[in-house]
Parts: sequence; C-alpha cells; structure tokens
Amino acid sequence: MIERLAKYRWQYVMILPGAILLLLFSYIPMVGIQVAFKDFHIGSTMWSSEWVGLENFSFLQDEQFWIVVKNTIYIAILKFVFGFPAPIILALLINEVKNNKYKRFVQSVSYLPHFFSWIVVAYILQSLLTLDGGLVNQLIEKLGGDSIFFLGSTEWFRPMIVVSGLWKEVGWNTILYLAAITTIDPQLYEAARVEGAGRLAQIRNITLPGIMPTISIVLILSMPGLIAVGMDQIYPLMNPANQPVADVLDTYILRNGLQQGYFGMATAVGLLSSVISLVLVLCTNQMARKFNGEGLW
Amino acid sequence: MRTSMRERVGQTIIVFLLALLCISVIYPFTYMLAVSLNVGSDAAKGGVYLWPREFTLYNYEVVLGNSVIQHAYLITISRTIVGTFVGLLITLLAAYGLSYRQLPFRKSLLGYVLITMLFSGGLIPLYIQLNHLSLLNSFWVYIIPSAFSAWNMFVMMKFIQGIPEALIESAEIDGANPVRILFVIIMPLSKPMLAAIGLFTAVGHWNDWFSGAFYVSDQNLIPVQTFLQQLLSAQDISTVLGSNNNQEALARGTMLSNVTLMSIKMATVMVSALPILCVYPFLQKYFVKGVLIGSVKG
Repeated sequence: MIERLAKYRWQYVMILPGAILLLLFSYIPMVGIQVAFKDFHIGSTMWSSEWVGLENFSFLQDEQFWIVVKNTIYIAILKFVFGFPAPIILALLINEVKNNKYKRFVQSVSYLPHFFSWIVVAYILQSLLTLDGGLVNQLIEKLGGDSIFFLGSTEWFRPMIVVSGLWKEVGWNTILYLAAITTIDPQLYEAARVEGAGRLAQIRNITLPGIMPTISIVLILSMPGLIAVGMDQIYPLMNPANQPVADVLDTYILRNGLQQGYFGMATAVGLLSSVISLVLVLCTNQMARKFNGEGLW
Repeated sequence: MRTSMRERVGQTIIVFLLALLCISVIYPFTYMLAVSLNVGSDAAKGGVYLWPREFTLYNYEVVLGNSVIQHAYLITISRTIVGTFVGLLITLLAAYGLSYRQLPFRKSLLGYVLITMLFSGGLIPLYIQLNHLSLLNSFWVYIIPSAFSAWNMFVMMKFIQGIPEALIESAEIDGANPVRILFVIIMPLSKPMLAAIGLFTAVGHWNDWFSGAFYVSDQNLIPVQTFLQQLLSAQDISTVLGSNNNQEALARGTMLSNVTLMSIKMATVMVSALPILCVYPFLQKYFVKGVLIGSVKG
C-alpha cells in the first residue's frame, strides 16, 4: 500500500493546494455553522463564543423574515416560469432562420449581455428608467403621460428583475439547445417534408423531441439553484422604496450579518437556506436517477 | 405554392422578432455611449437618443483623469491577471492529479470535492474565516478563496481523461515524471479547454463587485465594478470623485458645471464595459466551446 501511495506521490502533491483551499474556504466555514447556535462577535473566534441554543433562530418569529421568504419564492417562481422556456423558444426561432449570416449575427449579439456584470445591467436600467431624464420616462412624458418611478416602485420591481434577467441570459442559455438541434438527423426533416409536414409540424414532431434530453438535463441542473435568486442582480437595484418586495434571503443575510453585525442570526438564516438547497439537489438527483437511469454524480 | 408563401411570411416574422432582440441588446449601449459623449447639462434636457447632440470628450477626461478610478482599474486588471493564472494553475494541477484512475483514495478525494458543490457553510461563516485568516481588506481576498473551482476541476478532469492514455504511458516509459507529463503533453493538448476556462475565469474576475463591496473597506483596494456599484446610488458627483479632485474641480469649475452625475456615470460604465465589448467578437468561439466542453457529462 505504502509503495502504491509513494508511486503516486506527485499526484498527491498536485492535488494538495486545491485540497487545502477547499479545507480553508469550504470545510472550515461548514464547521463555522456552529456560530448559528452561539453568541458570536467579531474579535472572538467561533470556538471561544458561548453556546446560546436556539436563541439565534428567533427570526422565525419575525414577521419581516416571512416576508423575505415570500419574496424569495415569488421571484424564484417568476424567474423560472419565464427564464426556463424562453431560451428554448429563442433557440427554435434562431434555428428557423435560413440566412446563415443573419443567424450567426443574432447568436453573437444575443450572447453578449451574458458577459456584462449585473452592475452594468443596473446602470442600463437606471439610464433607461430613472425619473430625471430616463429614456422611458422621456417618452412617456412626450406622449402626455406622467413619469413613473420604476426604480423605486414595488409594482415594477419584479417585472424589472425578470425582464433584465431574461435580457442578460436568454441568448447565452440557447447554446446547449442549438448544439442539440444540430445533432438531429437531417433525413428526419426530409422525410417529414416528403410527407407534407409544415414547419410547425416539423418543430413539434422532430425538433422538440430531438432536444428533449437536453431540456430535461437543463431542467434538472437548474433546480438546485432555484432559491439562489440572484443576489448579484437584486442587491444593486434594491433601495428603501422597493425593499418590501426586493428583500430576499441573501440580502436579508447580508444586511443583518455583515452590515448590522448579527452574525449568529445571519448564519442561522444561511444554514436554513443551505439546507433547502441541499434538499433540492438531493431530490433532483433522485428524479434524475428515476428518469434518466443515472444520477447527477 | 401556398405553403411557400406561408413560409415566407413566417420567415419574415422570425427575422423581425430576432431583429427586435438584437436591438434590445445593442440599443442600451448606443444610448449610454451617446449620453456619455454629450455635454452633461445638455443631455439632461432630454432628446439624446442615438448620437450626441453637443459632442464632448470631457466626461471621459474627468473619468479617466480621476485617480480613484485609475486605481480601481489597476486593481481590476491585477486581480484578473493574477486570479486567472493562479486559478487555472491550482485547478489544473488537482484535475490532472485526480485524472489518474488508479490513484489510491481517488473516490474519496472526488467525494471531498463534490461535497463542497452540494453544501456550503454560507456567507457569514466564510466571512468569519476570511477575517480569521486576515484576508479581509487584503488584495489576496480576490485571489485565494476562489482559486480552486470544483466545477472547473471536474470539467478539466473529464477533458484530460479524454486524452489517449498511450501518449502518457509512452512518456512514462521514457522516464518522465507526472509534472513533466503535465507540462509537456497534457497542457499543449488542453489549450482549447484552458483557453475557454481561462476566459470564463477572467470574465468572472472582471465582473465581480461583491468581494470588493463586502470583504474590503479600504477604498484603495476596490475594483472598478465595486466602484461602479457605489457610484450607482450616489446622489452627487463630489461623493464619487472624492476630495483629492476638488482643487482640480475648482480650477476647471466652468467646465465641470456642464458635467452631470448621469453623464459621469455613463462614461464610467462605458469605460468598464468597453474592454469586454472589444475582445468579445474575437473570443466568442472559445466561450461557446467552453460551454459545450463543460456540458459533456461523462
């Protein structure tokens, strides 16, 4: 055994730096979850703090917390309902384009927003929607309407998140579907044409079934991240005016933990959301096993 | 003939819809570019849609001449270069080591990596650990905690396992040790994969505002994206450009009165987005390749 280990000594040396990083930045923070049951202050260590039982979980009785949970679920559902089918539809549309140059152009342009940060997206929204001189409000006023305070409105917040999320990622998310479409046997389409099937019938009977495996994989892989509703996207757009609908679990953790110093309580909220994610992952893996005969790992 | 007529109509509708999508992507940048190239006080009157009405480069002069922004740029560029290099190296080393199927305890080691993808301690325990390691308020907080990526490791490992074993075996017979094999055989053959993962890592570093906003309080260490995030909610220019610019501002007071917060914001965001806009057309194919490499599950 020792001989075998020695034979692979170089491999172990190469794995070591990565393994240490995981230990430092993944495993020790997992041990740090104990802070959720302790009275922790910056300056003390997670070991030296005193146990306080479930005191940090008193947020469960906080009305604000349940609003945050509701907001998180609401945004997660909206993002999924619009964000999941959109790239499939877009991929089908792009695939129907006959002019190859135009097709490539559309692909290039639609992938582009994926490479900008959510901060840049927030700037675009601000430049278009702000009250003083935002483009949309300029147009509304020109048409004789009253300006709308989009950025500080509770009604417009969710549409803004959904639309800007779609704008940023819909093109990029077509890549897998378009790749799957190219693997479909062209003879199937020819046969269908001979039978007199129109384009729509071809999409329904050939293209869609052809990309079904990809659709199911993407669906499965999107499940675990469902409640991570995109703090990167939401935080920059959140302000006191829209906070009642904008506040989600991640921003709640940030505010209470890093900004107000309730480390124990914020860790407890984080633990809850990590557990939910884990349950979602495990459920999806079971589902994948059932439907594909093979788990995710 | 009826079907071909219907098809032509359908084709026109599709082309039109996709054109709308492209416009929705391109137009906001055109608009921001136009506003940033327009005299601020003039743009505030409205009516600038496609191109500047009163052209000026002054907004860019203010932005590029500002020491805070220059410094933020320096941080972003350094962290992108160092972070991508270190990240690729550490992840590749582990991926290569774990690609040996005969490696004793390989299963356990893979499990050790996989668990971190399924469960995390969350933000606050990580913050406490960063504090404990004195990484808060240090440049290295951008580099070290994210240097190893479990996801990229698995993608790299699958790729390396696709390289014919005969190549590796023949090198082993020649007496090459694994480190040499990695650099002489594996790396040259992995170029497309390394390019794709390297690009994604680089974009991630370029776009990250979060670490700068929450792990760092020293303004001398914030990257451009964090600067932009602070600027986003700023109410007047002086809070942004800082006191070190005041004298300059007074000296050029007349000019500065033409600058609005909006015009400065647009110039700054364009400055942060331009590098990506410029390299994107040339690198797009690597990105797409990267997604497809990552999606092949073995």
